[in-house]
Amino acid sequence: MNHHDDEELRRRLSALDPASRLTPAAPERVAGLLECAMLDQASSGRTTDARPDATGRRRPLAWVAAAAAVVVIAGASFAGLRGDDDAQAPTAGPSAGQEPGPPAAEEPAADPGSMTALVAAADANAKCMVPNVQVLRANSLAFDGTVTAIEGDQVTLEPTAWFKGTPTETVTVTAPSKMLQELLVAVDFQVGERYLVTAFQDTVTLCGFTAAYDEALAQLYRDAYAG
Amino acid sequence: MTREERFEAVAREVIEPVRRFLARRSDPDTADDVLSETLLVLWRRLDDVPEHAVPWAYGVARGCLQNAQRSRRRQDRVTAKLAAQPVDPPRGDPDPRLAEAMDRLPDRDRELLRLWAWEQLTPAEIAAVLDTTSNAISIRLHRAKGKLVEQLRKSEPAAGHGGAEGRHR
Repeated sequence: MNHHDDEELRRRLSALDPASRLTPAAPERVAGLLECAMLDQASSGRTTDARPDATGRRRPLAWVAAAAAVVVIAGASFAGLRGDDDAQAPTAGPSAGQEPGPPAAEEPAADPGSMTALVAAADANAKCMVPNVQVLRANSLAFDGTVTAIEGDQVTLEPTAWFKGTPTETVTVTAPSKMLQELLVAVDFQVGERYLVTAFQDTVTLCGFTAAYDEALAQLYRDAYAG
Repeated sequence: MTREERFEAVAREVIEPVRRFLARRSDPDTADDVLSETLLVLWRRLDDVPEHAVPWAYGVARGCLQNAQRSRRRQDRVTAKLAAQPVDPPRGDPDPRLAEAMDRLPDRDRELLRLWAWEQLTPAEIAAVLDTTSNAISIRLHRAKGKLVEQLRKSEPAAGHGGAEGRHR
């Protein structure tokens, strides 16, 4: 085949290209994709597992899915947080006296009895990034709330202010017992204390995003979710 | 440059080409899922991403797509998916004879021709996608083109079997 034939064949094939009418992705969509990827801390199954029809539940957490109403398994990190991110992670326990007013001026009321169920997952390969507005904004849920109970494999929180997501009266975070211990260490969840919590889809975002209430972090939340 | 900045630069370079790559090979839902998956792999393996990132990213997307398709098949959903996915007629002249000729080629040849004509890759770049050598691709691509032309010749309306009339309309 000579060069001309070659080019003619390529031209004809190009006319069959099913993507020829594909318009470029919207900038918001591109930004969302980038943020979602960077949010992922480790689990190789995040996007697969995040689909309702996912088949690749490679994580040994499937039982959690059965236990909670809305549960998606994905990766988050405690290891990196505990290992090398002390400076970024406000792990000091909050003191009741330092609480300023609720960060969100207006918030829609939650339906009585409504509940959000979240999970936590861990991966030893986790890597953390410095909390910032962009990544925070990519979360699908964010609230300010107080831990009302820690029982079995579940932490229950009562939100006082919602930055993002559909408000519910309570939020539960479920993790297998061993992981729950890590979660308690990472976030320092204690009954009666106040926390800022974010989740991507249904998985709590750790790595310094979900942490004991801290005015600097609260300001970051306000900046991220303002407007 | 921080890791995040490098990722963003690489991701912005590859997103559109990979979106197109996937749109050519799967239904929109799968393409969406696999695009996210591909970016995750890119993020995790940022240190492995070569200077010329696009062919490498195609290779990753190809692997992710194969995984997704295997999963779908395992769930026996592929039939429904394909049935629900109308064949998208391309813009302008749909060139049905060429499309049919492509359909008659083995998958392996078809994919080489797509990478060459749709992704507009050189043999060296195709080799990066398929993780093989440039020489091997040159030979296989040449053969694939020959097979395609042969199939087209066979289907020329007035050409009968293997007629010698011009291969272009």
